[in-house]
Amino acid sequence: MSFSIDNIKHSEDLSTNSSAVDTVHKEANADVFGEIFATLGDHNGFYIGPHHVCDLPIVLVDNGLHVYFSKSSMLSSGLFTEVDHSIVRTSDGQAPALDLSVTNLVVFQWIAIVFILLVFRNISKKKKLAYNKPPKGFLANVAEKIILYVRDEIVAPNIPYPKIVNSLTFYFVATFIFILVVNILGLLPGGHTATSAIPLTGSLALIAFFVINGAAIKYSGIKSWFKHLLGGAPVGLAPIMVPIEILTLFIKPFSLTIRLFANMTAGHIIILSFLGLLFFFNTYVLATIIVPFSVFLYLLELLVAFIQAFVFTMLVAIYTGQSIGDHVRSEH
Amino acid sequence: MESLAIAYLAAAIGAGLVVIGASIGISRIGAAALEAIGRQPEAGGQLRTSMIIAAALIEGVAFFAAAICLLLVLK
Repeated sequence: MSFSIDNIKHSEDLSTNSSAVDTVHKEANADVFGEIFATLGDHNGFYIGPHHVCDLPIVLVDNGLHVYFSKSSMLSSGLFTEVDHSIVRTSDGQAPALDLSVTNLVVFQWIAIVFILLVFRNISKKKKLAYNKPPKGFLANVAEKIILYVRDEIVAPNIPYPKIVNSLTFYFVATFIFILVVNILGLLPGGHTATSAIPLTGSLALIAFFVINGAAIKYSGIKSWFKHLLGGAPVGLAPIMVPIEILTLFIKPFSLTIRLFANMTAGHIIILSFLGLLFFFNTYVLATIIVPFSVFLYLLELLVAFIQAFVFTMLVAIYTGQSIGDHVRSEH
Repeated sequence: MESLAIAYLAAAIGAGLVVIGASIGISRIGAAALEAIGRQPEAGGQLRTSMIIAAALIEGVAFFAAAICLLLVLK
């Protein structure tokens, strides 16, 4: 440890000695950390790791729909141009009204969707053939284990009505598996984590918002949903309780969004920052510490990928159970 | 001191405070859960689940603060 610290000081001394080398060195250093954030961001092209595979269509809504099949065709049309990795209008330098481009992270999300659809279509065919019999094959067994786990460990303890559990399990299984597959796709070599983008986690939370409130309205009635806004307090407290409860309705999906996004981004930033230190200090000696530590962090991120899929599903189940409450209509 | 330097300093101090708060919270949860599992080993599964949920809630608050620190640096 002391040896490596000596070495850091040594390289700092070297860089301060010659000012010409210093500026070049500093610029290279700044680039390392700038590149971390550029890598973590979204791109208008399909990348595997840092390698550009193909261009992706750019879709902009700005006084009508503009569709370009690649960035170069957008630039040659002259309407829009690119400044600092973001697309702006050529005429006044403002961002377009709405950017619906297919980006790198969207493609990785599609890969996850196609993967899940292929695997589960295959399994559901097999299951249909062997109805009421044990599942056949490796994938079908794994899927049954996951589905039963989600139903019995996540949904059932939080929603006390077996009928509601059975009708909502499909949503929780889909959410759990989708988040898990997207998280793990991002940990494969060359993969990008689509869950480290606010739009994806935000739309997952939006669906959760509709599930939480929709289930409450469907199963315990709109009347008890409105009654829930009182939070169980006497009517006299309504001026205080109602705003708080309405705020709570929106804070829940918001915190779901931020939690998943921040967890998946933080791990990447930490690993890349540690690897960036190697280039920052320009020494091999640090690698003996940093590389094993990065491997440890990578394994920690693998754990976090599972835990976050679990936590997201679990929290939606808890919120749904809370919002349904214990006054379910008699037919259920 | 220029304002950028102050922003970096504030972000670093903020990140440190976030770590202190989150680690106190999570360590208390861990300690309480271990004690409870020690008393009642058969309730281990249920306790572990509630422990993870409580830890996730604390982590969520900590991440709000960490995101603000990150915004200070990136702005």
